[in-house]
Amino acid sequence: MSATGETSTQLALRDPDIRLMLRVRDDDRAAFEELVELYQHRLVAVMNHLVGNAEEAEDLAQEVFLRVYRSRKKYRPRSKFSTWLFTIANNLALNALRSRQRKPMVSLPAQDSGPLGPRPAEQLVRDRGSGPMRRLERQELTDLIRRALEGLNERQRMAVVLNKFEDMNYAEIAEVMGLTTKAIKSLLSRARENLRAALSSYVYMDGERVPEDSEE
Amino acid sequence: MTEPSHFNEQERADLVAYLDGELTGEAARALEAKLSLDPAARAEADALRRTWELLDYLPRPQPSLRFTHRTLERLSPVRADEQQRQRLWRIRCLGLGWAAALLLAGWTGYAVYNWIVPREPGERQLLQDLRIIENKRLYDRIEDLDFWRALDAPDLFGEDASNS
Repeated sequence: MSATGETSTQLALRDPDIRLMLRVRDDDRAAFEELVELYQHRLVAVMNHLVGNAEEAEDLAQEVFLRVYRSRKKYRPRSKFSTWLFTIANNLALNALRSRQRKPMVSLPAQDSGPLGPRPAEQLVRDRGSGPMRRLERQELTDLIRRALEGLNERQRMAVVLNKFEDMNYAEIAEVMGLTTKAIKSLLSRARENLRAALSSYVYMDGERVPEDSEE
Repeated sequence: MTEPSHFNEQERADLVAYLDGELTGEAARALEAKLSLDPAARAEADALRRTWELLDYLPRPQPSLRFTHRTLERLSPVRADEQQRQRLWRIRCLGLGWAAALLLAGWTGYAVYNWIVPREPGERQLLQDLRIIENKRLYDRIEDLDFWRALDAPDLFGEDASNS
């Protein structure tokens, strides 16, 4: 029985991906290929948002698929297939992020000039002060947002990515991350507040008027 | 600088849940009332919503064209590993089966032997028969059973026996 009280058969009837996975369980290689085709975009995107590196994201996504394949014989549908898949992805990504913390990598983005010149954030503030905010290149903005996302702790980042890019509701995120719905609510609240603090200077940069009350 | 929040932690969690469509019932109504009455709270909610929308600027990374192919290529070592493990498992099962068969055969042989060949008397049996064994040399001289039974008669030696 699943967490929602449904039997494996009921779940399989509702979720075509479960049926696909059951074929994988029976050593159907074509079904596995179909699963990879179906989920690679979502998985690589999620991994990329989490680890911030395209190559590493692909490696991790591949590892997720290989784990799916290795555990196919033990597969019993208890929830949506995507929930199971992202649970594996969550475990792998968190492990990767933790081991990266143990072996910190020095990454110097091209724009991070340090003593050689102003940093993008400083540049943005200067640009904003002088008015022509629209000259801000999209790439710079993307880098800033990515940095704000990377500034969140691992669990906050995972919850944000699943909520924002996978459209998962709190209950689904809770299942993937092995937490309660209440914990996810609190995690997302703190994450959103951290993002707001990190990006507050850029929220109203598209020429729209800042609401009067927030300027008080 | 970020504006100080107009919400406490619980209220902000409710606000975020409300923006995500996860807040219902009384809590949602209370929050809506606060937002309609408090412009500062409304501005904060708006900033949270807009910050969330900023994430849409992040590009949607795509897997490389050969992603599926490379993933399927990596299945071969996995399958080889599984087959190797299955072989080892079969060998182990076979070994265990042989060991079990040998044990069974040994036990059966022992049981059959005990059934066919009479067992040597045990220690208890020997103790029980100790007096007979000790006097076996005397009993051997008795030629027939009637004489032996007669020896058991209490008055065989009469008075003389007790006197001597």
